[in-house]
Amino acid sequence: MSVTRLETFFITLCRAGILLAFGALILSVLIQVLGRTFGSSPVWTEELTRFALLYIAAFGAGLSLRSGDLVNVDIVCESLKGNWPWRLRLLSALCTAGLCTILILPAWQYVSIGRLQTSPAVEVRMDFVHASVLVLLFILLVFSLIRIIGMVLGSDQGLPDRKEEVS
Amino acid sequence: MGLAVLLLVFVFGLVIGVPVAVTLGLASLAYLTYMGIPAVVMPQKMYAGMDVFVLLSIPGFILAGNLMNRGGITHRIIRFANALVGWVRGGLGLTNVGASMLFGGITGTAVADAASIGGVMIPGMKKAGYTPEFSAAVTAASSTVGPIIPPSVPMIIVGALSGISVGKMFLAGAIPGILMGIAMMVTAYIIAVRQNFPRQNWLGASEIVRSFGGAFWALAMTAIIIYGLLSGIATPTETAVIASVYAFVVGAFIYRELPIREVPKIIIDSAISSAAILVLVGFANVFGWILVSERIPQAIAASVLQFTDNKYVVILIINILLLFVGMFMETIAALIILFVPLLALAQAVGIDPLHFATFAVLNLMIGLTTPPLGVCLFVCANIARVPLTPVVIAILPFLVTNILVLFLVSYVPAIATWLPSVLTR
Repeated sequence: MSVTRLETFFITLCRAGILLAFGALILSVLIQVLGRTFGSSPVWTEELTRFALLYIAAFGAGLSLRSGDLVNVDIVCESLKGNWPWRLRLLSALCTAGLCTILILPAWQYVSIGRLQTSPAVEVRMDFVHASVLVLLFILLVFSLIRIIGMVLGSDQGLPDRKEEVS
Repeated sequence: MGLAVLLLVFVFGLVIGVPVAVTLGLASLAYLTYMGIPAVVMPQKMYAGMDVFVLLSIPGFILAGNLMNRGGITHRIIRFANALVGWVRGGLGLTNVGASMLFGGITGTAVADAASIGGVMIPGMKKAGYTPEFSAAVTAASSTVGPIIPPSVPMIIVGALSGISVGKMFLAGAIPGILMGIAMMVTAYIIAVRQNFPRQNWLGASEIVRSFGGAFWALAMTAIIIYGLLSGIATPTETAVIASVYAFVVGAFIYRELPIREVPKIIIDSAISSAAILVLVGFANVFGWILVSERIPQAIAASVLQFTDNKYVVILIINILLLFVGMFMETIAALIILFVPLLALAQAVGIDPLHFATFAVLNLMIGLTTPPLGVCLFVCANIARVPLTPVVIAILPFLVTNILVLFLVSYVPAIATWLPSVLTR
């Protein structure tokens, strides 16, 4: 699978994950509000909303790195001469990938701890919820690796792929 | 020594351009490794940082703003603002500020305001004979009122960090936001008179009524948000989701300018903006936990108090520090890193946390328009197609005005605290 196809696959996956999580958030809040207005709201809505938010962060993290929403201070590095801005962008992507790689195992440990717990209202095993941090780090790792490979191969300058401004 | 490792890695990461969130993570990881603390603490603290009830409202408010923005609100708000103040000398400058104030009641983020209002106003002002640098400067400066007038994403983050009521903070921002807007209108007027900028024709009271009718549904969203929070019938999260549904209905069925096929894209864009904030909050929670463990907030407070315990001098020191940091660092990141340590200092000299939160947010919003890192400056200069330097020069009078308002709010606490004290008894 080429890097471009891999990137497209992960972008599609993240977008689908975002839509699912955002949909769950909106739906559970609306059920909460309507339930309270016309009787009593179910007890699980608040918990589900919180879990949905964690997965919005998980699936959105990689795309925010790609779009430049995950901000950096670039006044020093981008003002340097010659090839230095490119080198520092590569170093920055390597730092991101390195951090995520190192944290994958501790995140897995954290997920494992969740196996012993169940959420009080939704009654879902907490490892499925703790896994949001693992997903976040994994997806951030994937998009930083894609950037690194693109930069090394010359197809990517390492600059953010700014999303279209909502006009 | 552990602290030195933390700060060295943090500064190094920032300087080489690593995303601020990742920098916070790298610095925290370096500290934990040096101190022999298991790294499993990091995912645990990240989770705890993001799993905060108040943060749930961020995606909703961002989505509501984006839906309204795409649903045809911008030109209706501009038309209404133009009917109100467009006939004054330099009227389009005043319209620009007025539109930002009205828009601020809907979006809660300054960059969205700058891009939306600027996209319409800057070309219009240039066409009407205003200089491009003034057009860009007034748009950038006035966009900063967005996160002061409720709703406000930075204030939600402050609520998550400190436990201060988001509803009270929203109310506390209302008067300072309006003050800032009025002060900028006066500044725009003075500049317009000096530079002999044109004025629009008075379109009559009927145009005010007609344009208000057009903008009514958009403006009503601000009222819904305020009512939802004040009446206690809805939490900030519920208010944000209700506002999103309302924005969708208004955009798609009343204004009929929101293409339904674009809604998934708008949701994804809103989620990406929210995720960036949440990742920052997650890593910052680890960093903040280390700072608290090392008793840094207390150390900062003690070192300043050693120098002075005068409340007014402390307010001055905090403001100068935040203005300086705001010049170089992204606003949300600066807020997340500095708010808690400085809150400890503010409370040590008897500053009301609500008052402190208001002037700290206001201060960091000004940072969006200060060089070298002023995101709104970049956005507006880009729309106006002018280099940054003339825009920086043109924005100076507005910066002075905003800093004067900042000091007024800082030294007269009632400007911030009066409204919440009256309405939330």
